[in-house]
Amino acid sequence: MIPLEYELVLSALLFSIGLYGIVARKNAIIVLMSIEIILNAAILNFVAFSSYHNDPSGQVFALLALAVAAAEAAVGLAVFLSIYQTHGTIELDKVRFLRW
Amino acid sequence: MFEYAWLIILLPLASFLITGLLGKRLPQGGGHVAVGAIAGSFVLSAYLFYEVLLGGALGSAFHATVDGFVWIPGTGDAVEQQETAIRISLLIDNLSALMLLLVSFLSMLIATYSLGYMREEEGKHRYYAEVSLFVAGMLGTVSADNFLQLLIFWEIMGLCSYLLIGFWYHKPEAAKAAKKAFLVTRVGDVIFLVGILVIWGVFHTFSFLEITEKLELEGAAIITPQLLTLIPLLIFGGAVGKSAQFPLHAWLPDAMEGPTTVSALIHAATMVKAGVYLVARSFIFLVPPAGSGLDPPFNAILFIAAIGGFTAVFAATMGLTAYDIKRVLAFSTISQLGYMILGLGAGAWLMGTALVRGEEPETAGYSAALFHLFNHAFFKALLFLSAGSVIHAVHTNDLREMGGLGRPMPITSKVMLFGALALAGIIPFSGFFSKGEILAVTYEVGLEEPAFLLLYVAGAVTAFMTAFYTFRLWFMTFSGEYRGHGHPRESPAVMTAPLVVLAGFALVSGLLAFPMQGFGNLVFYERAHASLPLVGVPVLEYLLEGVSLGAAVLGIGLAWAVYRAKRIPAERFTATPSRAFLHEMLSRRYWIDDVYDAIGARLVAGFGRGLDWFDRNVIDGIVNAVGRGGAATAAGSDAFDRRIVDGAVNALSLETVRTGWRMRQRQTGQVQSYAWMVVLGIVLVIALVVGISWYLRVQRGG
Repeated sequence: MIPLEYELVLSALLFSIGLYGIVARKNAIIVLMSIEIILNAAILNFVAFSSYHNDPSGQVFALLALAVAAAEAAVGLAVFLSIYQTHGTIELDKVRFLRW
Repeated sequence: MFEYAWLIILLPLASFLITGLLGKRLPQGGGHVAVGAIAGSFVLSAYLFYEVLLGGALGSAFHATVDGFVWIPGTGDAVEQQETAIRISLLIDNLSALMLLLVSFLSMLIATYSLGYMREEEGKHRYYAEVSLFVAGMLGTVSADNFLQLLIFWEIMGLCSYLLIGFWYHKPEAAKAAKKAFLVTRVGDVIFLVGILVIWGVFHTFSFLEITEKLELEGAAIITPQLLTLIPLLIFGGAVGKSAQFPLHAWLPDAMEGPTTVSALIHAATMVKAGVYLVARSFIFLVPPAGSGLDPPFNAILFIAAIGGFTAVFAATMGLTAYDIKRVLAFSTISQLGYMILGLGAGAWLMGTALVRGEEPETAGYSAALFHLFNHAFFKALLFLSAGSVIHAVHTNDLREMGGLGRPMPITSKVMLFGALALAGIIPFSGFFSKGEILAVTYEVGLEEPAFLLLYVAGAVTAFMTAFYTFRLWFMTFSGEYRGHGHPRESPAVMTAPLVVLAGFALVSGLLAFPMQGFGNLVFYERAHASLPLVGVPVLEYLLEGVSLGAAVLGIGLAWAVYRAKRIPAERFTATPSRAFLHEMLSRRYWIDDVYDAIGARLVAGFGRGLDWFDRNVIDGIVNAVGRGGAATAAGSDAFDRRIVDGAVNALSLETVRTGWRMRQRQTGQVQSYAWMVVLGIVLVIALVVGISWYLRVQRGG
């Protein structure tokens, strides 16, 4: 049985990689992927604590979150597609219309 | 018993409201409404008169009070409240019944005549409304129960007179004449008002009957001889103004600027008689009741008679030279009113002396004056309306542009001849009886008091002059060649019919004295027995009548010789400088009007200008200074408001805007910088939570 700490460390690493991807990369697809990584880090925590506490409800949440993440990825990709059609780019430092 | 008497006044008043408010929409400006209402008053007055005669007025005094309402409640306890209350009620006695009948009858005729005369005028509804109001005022004046009520209706008449003289208000002369009439009569009215106030001060009542009663009961205890002299003189002041006696006569000739119907109704037949009526009412002071032990105020009586006699001769001289057909008649009206006042004065003297001697008082003078009032109302209305008929035909007032109108206007010329004969006093026309009676009474008094002999001479001379100028007028209008333009035509029947009726009265109203066994029985004054004019009178009286008749015939003869037969050329009257001066003086009306104008224009207007200067410079200066102070304060307040208050508000809003500007600079639209912020925020929150919980643990655990 893998100790809880390993899993939490793995989860923290995944979170940090995702965070780095969000703030540092310009491509919107990569940012979206980074968000998915962060989400997976959270799901990993659910699963880890579920097996630690012998409580299956954590795994139910993990499945639910996966489904929601899939939907969210679909919406996000649709938004980026739309942005690309209107602005001709999905470089985030060029897309600046969320401002005053 | 006589409650319907209220309707006599209320009918014309209703007509005033109807024609005044709706007249524009009615045919003839509501003239038919006015005629109908006044005719209603006439019928009621006739019935009232009949009942009064049946009620005992023939051969004795009769009076009844028709209660109206309490206008101003009295003060004090229950009895005093009853006594001092000021009521609006009607007094029905011989005099007021006769006056009601006379006024309503003449008003009806003249209103009918107006239907023809005013047919083509603008603003007829105004005319009929004002005439209706006037008739209501006159009827109210002669039936008032007390002096205050009398004054109210008296002033209504004055107002209507003003309005009707100025009926053609766009003509400057008419507007000026209206103003003059109003202001000159006002002088008299103020004196009258003072008299009324003195009456209140003495008697604490205005009612004629109550005053008589108090005089009879308390006599010298309530009034001093001085006050008894003063009160009738003050009341006479009102009569002088209204009846155009010297020195307030100046307004009446100018009042001829109004429509001729107005001159006939107001300035000949009715309103100017109100002054005579008032003097007749003031007999309660002139001849105090027998039981009171008071002496009659002979000085006041002499003054009144002298004013009357002087006015008679004075106005007649001015009538000699006038060329305006209506002004000649106006001067003769003033002169005849003077006769009436003279007759009342002589009558009062006669009654007073009889009273002092303890004899039965003789009412000859009183009834003669009222008899003349009665007759004069008919023939003067007739003369004015005939003159109106002539003016209607030739469109001018100037006698010099008339002449030869007898042929085209047969009815008018004949009825006017009737009027002229009555005015001149030729037997058997009405003027002869009453004028002769007045002169006879004056002579009779003159036998006791020589001053009245002088007045008798003035009266006889006036009779001569009256006959002269009346026939001068008639000959210049109707005989000889026509000197004007156009083709004059006889007036319509609606105008000539009233003329014929009035001509009938000019002939027979004098003879009425006979079936009434003397006019005294008709308007008989209390405590006196009837006099019988011409019936069973001494030879002396026939002689006196002969003198007045002779004077009249002489006057007519002279007028015939000058203006009809041309035996004496009219230029003879102005041939020498002194005669020319006399003529000038008479035509300028003794310069009295000029003097009044000068007083009005220079003195009063100068005073007015002084006040105007004071107003403009002093009062306006103060007002302007206050205004400027206010403006300066306001400017300061404005500056404070703009600079300080608005400044603070503006600064606040400006800072808010700037802050907002700076803040929104942070909204770059860089999604990733937002993400940075989120991360930093989370780190900060975690750090705070950890830091604070560590700190708290340290605090708690020590």
